[in-house]
Amino acid sequence: MSSFGFGLITAAVLAIATVGFTMQFAVTNVLNLAYGSVMINSAFVSYYLNVHGVTAWVSLVGGVFTGSVVSWALNRFIFTPFQRRNLAPITVVIVALGVDLVGTFGLQAIVGGGYVSFRQSPGSEYHFLGMILSGLQLVILAICAVVLGLVHWVLKYTRLGKAMRATSANPNLARNSGVKVQRVISTTWLISGALCGLAGTVLAMNTGVFEATSAQLYIVLLLAAMFLGGPGEPYGAMFGALTIGLATEISAAYFSPQYKEVIAFLALLGMLTFRPYGIFGSEKTN
Amino acid sequence: MSVELSQPGLVLSTTALSAGYDGRAIVSDISIEASPGKVISIVGPNGSGKSTLLKALVGVVRVLDGTVSVGGNDITNLPSEEVAKLGVGYVPQIDDVFPPLTVKENLEIGGYLLRRSEIPDRIAAVVDRFPRLKEMMSRKAGKLSGGERKMLAMGRVLMLSPSVLVLDEPTANLAPMVATQLLEEYVRGFADQGSTVLLVEQRAKSALRISDWTYVLGGGRVVLDGAPKDLQENPLFVESFLGGSSIPK
Amino acid sequence: MGAWAFYLTTIIVYGAVDAMACMALNVEFGFAGISNFGFIIFQSAGAYAAAVLSMPPAATSNGGFQQYVLGWNLPWPFPWIGAAIVGGLLALPFVFLVGKRLRGDFAAVGLLVSAVLLNVLVKDFVPLLNGDAGISIVPAPFQSIWNPQALGYQFAYGGVAVVLTVLVYFLFRRLTESPYGRSLRAMRDNDVVADSLGKNLRLQRTTTLVVGGMVAGLSGAILVGFISLWAPGAWGYAETIVLFAAIILGGAGNHKGAILGALLVPLGFEEITRFLPPVANPTLVPALEWVAIGLLIILFLWFRPEGILPERRRILSGAPASALAPVPSGKDTDALIQLGNLDELNFRKLLRLEETANDHRVILSTQGLTKIFHGVTVVSDVSIEVRQGRLTGLIGPNGAGKSTTLAMLAGTLASSGGRIFYEGRDITDVPSNQRANLGLVRTFQLASEFKKLTVLENLVSAIPKQSGDSFWGAMRGRRHWGREDKENIERAMEMLGGFGLTQYADAYAGGLSGGQRRLVEIMRALLAEPKVLLLDEPMAGVHPRLAHKIGDQLTRLCEAGMTVLMVEHELSIMDAFCDPVIVLAEGKVLAQGTMADLRANLEVVEAYLVG
Repeated sequence: MSSFGFGLITAAVLAIATVGFTMQFAVTNVLNLAYGSVMINSAFVSYYLNVHGVTAWVSLVGGVFTGSVVSWALNRFIFTPFQRRNLAPITVVIVALGVDLVGTFGLQAIVGGGYVSFRQSPGSEYHFLGMILSGLQLVILAICAVVLGLVHWVLKYTRLGKAMRATSANPNLARNSGVKVQRVISTTWLISGALCGLAGTVLAMNTGVFEATSAQLYIVLLLAAMFLGGPGEPYGAMFGALTIGLATEISAAYFSPQYKEVIAFLALLGMLTFRPYGIFGSEKTN
Repeated sequence: MSVELSQPGLVLSTTALSAGYDGRAIVSDISIEASPGKVISIVGPNGSGKSTLLKALVGVVRVLDGTVSVGGNDITNLPSEEVAKLGVGYVPQIDDVFPPLTVKENLEIGGYLLRRSEIPDRIAAVVDRFPRLKEMMSRKAGKLSGGERKMLAMGRVLMLSPSVLVLDEPTANLAPMVATQLLEEYVRGFADQGSTVLLVEQRAKSALRISDWTYVLGGGRVVLDGAPKDLQENPLFVESFLGGSSIPK
Repeated sequence: MGAWAFYLTTIIVYGAVDAMACMALNVEFGFAGISNFGFIIFQSAGAYAAAVLSMPPAATSNGGFQQYVLGWNLPWPFPWIGAAIVGGLLALPFVFLVGKRLRGDFAAVGLLVSAVLLNVLVKDFVPLLNGDAGISIVPAPFQSIWNPQALGYQFAYGGVAVVLTVLVYFLFRRLTESPYGRSLRAMRDNDVVADSLGKNLRLQRTTTLVVGGMVAGLSGAILVGFISLWAPGAWGYAETIVLFAAIILGGAGNHKGAILGALLVPLGFEEITRFLPPVANPTLVPALEWVAIGLLIILFLWFRPEGILPERRRILSGAPASALAPVPSGKDTDALIQLGNLDELNFRKLLRLEETANDHRVILSTQGLTKIFHGVTVVSDVSIEVRQGRLTGLIGPNGAGKSTTLAMLAGTLASSGGRIFYEGRDITDVPSNQRANLGLVRTFQLASEFKKLTVLENLVSAIPKQSGDSFWGAMRGRRHWGREDKENIERAMEMLGGFGLTQYADAYAGGLSGGQRRLVEIMRALLAEPKVLLLDEPMAGVHPRLAHKIGDQLTRLCEAGMTVLMVEHELSIMDAFCDPVIVLAEGKVLAQGTMADLRANLEVVEAYLVG
């Protein structure tokens, strides 16, 4: 049952990250493989605020802000110009990989290769329903739950959220209805970037120690969760993240922790081979 | 109903308009005029450029030559969100709704430019016009039937109280009964309430029945125009669909 | 002197290994259009295979300090051969990802993730290949009789590596400059169209991945024999990106570009850093290397996407490159198209039509053909018959299901119900490329030329049963297919002459005007030697002045024994050339007859005017 607790944390953080990732894909059709590097850069900004005396939870805001601004800039100055040239989607993916290298290793060049950790004690342990969670983890869970609720509220009940979904479904018609599509896309990248920064920072807090390349493999989990729920589907992303998060941790408990990513890997390959538009998705998602 | 569905119409006109893709004209030298309270229809065989013409009017396809104006304002090559702001409501032939959004949300996006407080009243007014939509406000637009979907598409556009309605083959893929009802009850109805209606139709005869004036397109040009009654008696009319005269020699 | 000589041999071996890997990836990516983001695992599989095949059993050697499978103690060259085989076999599971029509970037992501996870697996599952520590003390070939540390040995090793690289270069050239290479590039430019012309995409992609994997495996073997150790750290997924950077820099679709890229990026980067002064932060230099590679990718894709040595344009017509007509531009070029001596084309000879009289038998028919898209019935219970030697028209209002019906006949779309019969045989379940090979060839409504193939290559690529259009045919070399290819080129030139496009023979098809591209597509479909030609709005975008001339030729084709089914909205064309004409409306067959009959048919008039 403790693995369920771990799984819950993994899933919650993954859900935040995947929702941001899938939103970027939804409005701009970019598989932003540089997402992991933005996560870890955000975590480091937050960490530096933290070591310079800011409490962890306030420094978290710095991480969120970093993710938001960096993601917006990436879309504005790199992805959009490339997409305007009507290139094959694969070219933009290769560009994203290039950005990932610059982001990850640029960070490493600056901060060095060592591991760091937040000045934040995990807090005392809490036991309930057979799960053991630290105070830190409980706060993370709470933040994730609140943020996911917020995302749901924005998408479902605000003018902006509806415009985002409309833009994702049919940008021309949205434009026709008076929606300023470019502005909506920019806002989407700001918001999804904030989710990216949040996910990166809480992931780093939860892991304890981290370094510049720590988020490099996270993209596998992200992709698995996204394809499971259907690319471009925020609610699908939450479902996918929950499934992948729980499945990896539970399989880690019952089989071997070393291979916990394998289940994500198999899920992703299975989805790509048999249902590339997600369990609930149809080809129209594309 | 106190809220007017649409505003008094404006004159929409083009002069010597050419438009197309990649710098190549699909339609050329088109001069048409649509005035308030009237249904003006554009008919013609497949590929005669009807849809391209409409798209050029609303800023989706690039105008290469000539002008488009609405109510005296030049709107040539204005971005489509600006065209929408000036009171031109455009319902495309396909991709006319947001499938993953609910009916209510589609209408809300339709009223995107309105103040938040105005939206519920507008929705009520639109739904009043299309009572069928009332029962399915929370259904996803992608799950509507063809006729319902078209009503939603028109309702979405009506949210902004347009002065001019531009409809691209609203009856495509609808059963004949539904098509007739849509045209006679709704499309004609908009004009009767004072709006300007510009209609592209595949079903020429149905279109003629509700039109005040009709342009026949062939090979990207206006080959014939006139009052529906005169057109119907004109042998050139049927020929322009099924005969060979539509190719300029 | 001594140290420098050893250093030189190291550079030679690394350079050869990198060049091999880049060439292999370039064949996959630059020629066949497969974005193999997991390429590095193929090289790595070869390295591991060569290691465990050449090493003694794990339990008996080295005091058992490392664990691994096999340990067969094989002498050279068997470990290297084994490495190539393993690299090739590893391609097979991925055929499921790239073989189907999955978005290119989705398939690439699948391969990337596979690379990541295989790395994790090997790292964590120690008994397989000694886990994270990797395998060390891999024996060098002939080390029992020749000291691997000797300078002579090292030079000999480098020499063998270079010779193998040169061999690989010639092997790949033989592959890509053959008719089969042309088919690979056609698939890269537009896979759906290549499929419709009879190319077996799955087989072509499998072959490419297997061949690329074998060369990658061999390169890994050469490397591991030289450095004698191999560990997961050496093959992180990012190493593939380095190779992609090399190809993008050097020039995708150009073997010399791949070699140049290999020398500049993986080799150049590795070596330059050796000459940097030591810095306090040990991760700084490698980190900056990665940053530089990332920047190179972005900057090159923006400023020079074709690379330093761009893909070569193949001049097949024999004309000197200077004789090339300027690529047309401007909006009215279509009005300037002049057809050539079309009436003099002998279609029967040119298209190898059978010398039999037209018997007007039913050659293609459907029974209850139905297509449902997302719950919407687009084509409903359509039963039609197409007779041999006739030019049958298919008309109907927008959305009547004409193009969908045509796509189902050609196999581009799967039907949701009903059967399709061709020459008396039920072909409902026959894949589209096989239908093309049976003589059922379609054209497309939207532009579908292979953009980075010349006009002439576009045409020749469609000719069926070319002896050089298979892997083994290509391997047998120009002597095997050269003469036939020359004949094919002559046929295509004759066709171009008829359509008045001779001067554009060697121009990239993507640069032509809209009307010219339509003509290219029609010519290409004809050279596919169809028995039944399915045309989807062939006159759309063709200047009306030309449309009737093309119609005349379609009639001549039918007289020569071809059967044509044409979707077209220009009814004057139907009037002049098609008999019978089938009317579809709302997904159903409404009527059939000559245009004159149909015009008298009230139902048809209603369908067109009322609905």
